[in-house]
Amino acid sequence: MPTVEEMRAQEVWNNCAIRSAFSGVVGGGLGIFMGFLLGALDNPLMHDPDMSAKKQFIFTAKQMGSRSWSNCKTFALMGLVFSAAECVIEKARAKHDVTNTAVAGCVTGGAMSARAGPQAACYGCAGFAAFSVLIEKFIDRHS
Amino acid sequence: MAANNSPLPAGVTKEQAFGMAETEMEYRVELFNRLSQTCFSKCVDKRHVSSGLHLYFYGSRYKESELNMGENSCIDRCVSKYWLVNGLVGQMLSAGGQRPM
Repeated sequence: MPTVEEMRAQEVWNNCAIRSAFSGVVGGGLGIFMGFLLGALDNPLMHDPDMSAKKQFIFTAKQMGSRSWSNCKTFALMGLVFSAAECVIEKARAKHDVTNTAVAGCVTGGAMSARAGPQAACYGCAGFAAFSVLIEKFIDRHS
Repeated sequence: MAANNSPLPAGVTKEQAFGMAETEMEYRVELFNRLSQTCFSKCVDKRHVSSGLHLYFYGSRYKESELNMGENSCIDRCVSKYWLVNGLVGQMLSAGGQRPM
């Protein structure tokens, strides 16, 4: 039988706001990491005769930093919206299904691509929904 | 045992009060058991779930030991409705018992 602390922890975790904030933070961390990686890959150290090695290093570091920050914001927003949508939908439906993930993915994809027009929003919705369903099935199979 | 803390209503012996309390206790226990069985089989037991999508596994194999949010809100609603129905039916029975059925 679960103890009182376990039940309270479960109640805290079931709160939609806390859950989506946590997902946002995790998404932000992932975004920073990915921005680091991609920034390092996109700006290879070239032998530029104009800049010394130290200046080049600082320039590369700044590029990586700005890219990390923008990626971080994107991924944090994505994680937040996805987690919040999934939480709200699951609470409303009172069922634990894969349709929660699919609809939440659609909402996230649509929201992220809404700036580019309605057609882009539709594609983003479908694409992200399919992606999130695949990831969910992958995770479920291996846990 | 302290004597005469709560005076019994007129015409009711101690044995009768005991019997009524026992019946009430049995009724309560039965209500609790039925309530938890109903809401468990409705919300958590996958064998009796009717959903639009096909079931991923047949039988009662669970993937995690904690209730996820869907099950949690399902159980909340189930218990609330069961309780409401119970109260409503009790009211109707007690009101209808005054007329001959």
